Amino acid sequence: MNSLKGQVLETLLSGGFICKTTDELSYQFLQNTENFADVEQQLNLMNRTITSTSDDQVYFCAYQVIGDSERRSVAQQFRDVSSSLLPLVEWLVLVQEAKGDNSPLSEGKVVRLNELQSVIEDTPAFSEQLSKIARYSLFNSSSSAVDAQLKLVFKRLVDLGYLLRPNPDNQIYLATGKVDYLFEVIRFIDDSENLQLAEQAEEAIKQGDLL
Amino acid sequence: MSQPLHIAGVKFLKALAKHSDIIMQAYLSGRVNELEHDAKVLDKLIGLGVLWRPEPSEDLRLRSSIRSLLENNLRDERNRQLDANIGSKLAAIKTITSHYKEALHHQNYVESEVYMEDLTEQVYGLVDSLKSNVRNLWRRIHNEFGYVGSINAKIRENELAQSQLTDMRKQLAMFQFDELADIAGSSRELRRLLVVHLQRCHSEISQELSIAQSKLIDLLGKFREYLHRSQLLKGYVLHCQQKPDYHIKNYAELNTVPPLFNQAEAILKPASIDVNNIEHERLFGEIVSHLKQVRHSKTNKNERGSQSFNLNDIEEINIESDELKQAVEQYFCQVIDTGNRLSALEFYQQQNLELDQEEWIYGVINGFYGLSIEEQDFFQIGPLGHPHPLFDGNYIIEDVELGLR
Repeated sequence: MNSLKGQVLETLLSGGFICKTTDELSYQFLQNTENFADVEQQLNLMNRTITSTSDDQVYFCAYQVIGDSERRSVAQQFRDVSSSLLPLVEWLVLVQEAKGDNSPLSEGKVVRLNELQSVIEDTPAFSEQLSKIARYSLFNSSSSAVDAQLKLVFKRLVDLGYLLRPNPDNQIYLATGKVDYLFEVIRFIDDSENLQLAEQAEEAIKQGDLL
Repeated sequence: MSQPLHIAGVKFLKALAKHSDIIMQAYLSGRVNELEHDAKVLDKLIGLGVLWRPEPSEDLRLRSSIRSLLENNLRDERNRQLDANIGSKLAAIKTITSHYKEALHHQNYVESEVYMEDLTEQVYGLVDSLKSNVRNLWRRIHNEFGYVGSINAKIRENELAQSQLTDMRKQLAMFQFDELADIAGSSRELRRLLVVHLQRCHSEISQELSIAQSKLIDLLGKFREYLHRSQLLKGYVLHCQQKPDYHIKNYAELNTVPPLFNQAEAILKPASIDVNNIEHERLFGEIVSHLKQVRHSKTNKNERGSQSFNLNDIEEINIESDELKQAVEQYFCQVIDTGNRLSALEFYQQQNLELDQEEWIYGVINGFYGLSIEEQDFFQIGPLGHPHPLFDGNYIIEDVELGLR
């Protein structure tokens, strides 16, 4: 059988993200400094290293030294992230608004597909938004039914590692730490390009209030 | 002694029970609709101090004492008031203590007992109000200010709770135990109440309060984080809408790639099957037994597809007879044509057939018995040969002769 360390290495080397929700044991394992150093040492053999988001909520595998071939791979990953950013952000906004939550989805939060579906079906603005999201190449849905669109979007998100479906018998999903990673990315872009996204949003809300 | 008080209290409580509908309506809606109720009943309730009219033109409202009683009992979330007026209560406690000590000094034990009762009530009341304040705070923390909707309102509620908490801590600092110990003097009862009990509760409550405060600050941070995240998301969508040609800068091309975008490629692929591993044999066996034969493979699609064919009459069928059969037929025909008897070997020599003799003779015999019985009746077949020279009873057939009947 595979040891916990082996499991951690396997997840990291196959491009997975480790957070409390996806794999609590592995996450705890990496929280231990000794174990962390051990895994790091093993990864270094393959020019890889463990990285985490700023608050240590998600661990993933990065290159130790970026040469030419690594740069090509990193560029590809970056293209993937940046092209899927807008659809994912729109989806997060949709989920937050449809659930009537104060906060966007984050690690460990529960999404019930059935509840979401009934709200979206009852609200034309939401179903319009959903069909726009589902048409993005990330999801690539050709269906016009809310049910099919939603199921496809959720299935894709599970495949991509943003959601987790603990029990295949019911339609209850958990958000993983990769969602938090997404926020980090947006925050990073916001900071480094000085987009002032939060101010823009606040401005828009104020203007909406005036109207 | 307090018989009249007892009677009045019971009467009051009975009145409350009797008019509980009106009181609850006033509690929930904030005021009483005077047209719906009997004026006499309302007057009685005003007389009892349950309802009151703040201004002549205003509706009747519930007295705050009744309201807070209900709020406390129902653990209503709207109960956000913290009673932080500890100073006056402490002053009252000190005053009653002086009364008690004076009564003791004058050896007026009956009066001193009454004062002691009063003092106990005051001390316990103070502790209870402090504890209920803390409970109230925790209740709000536990449901994360769930009674207000928007995150901004939650932040404001949190700030209110924090300021109330700070007030409470300031008031708690007013407990001066050296002074209380002085007042209690050598009296055992007073020391128990004013020093031991109050001190224990004081430390408990201040501990609770500091935990609550850190929790509140945590929550505030969390709320701010939520707010920030929501704003980031909405801001990003807005930004993309307003500037459709916006592209994220390619951070992967930077000299030092930001750690966030430094993601290694997946290098682990599923391992291969080792069929020589005996330990895995059972597993493989199970997998194989679950395999279903797929007949609809894509490769023979063309063969499975429809094909065109002719439905015309069959023109001719050529059955190519072999040499032996043809020779046998010729032989039969010749017998029919000539009408003479002809032995098989004679025909064999005539035609110079290139067959084995024995095979030929068997072929002829086969040919004869292959005919239908009616046809057999036209011919007669007879063996030609000689008896065995040594063993009698055995006849060696060398040839057959065929003739017409």
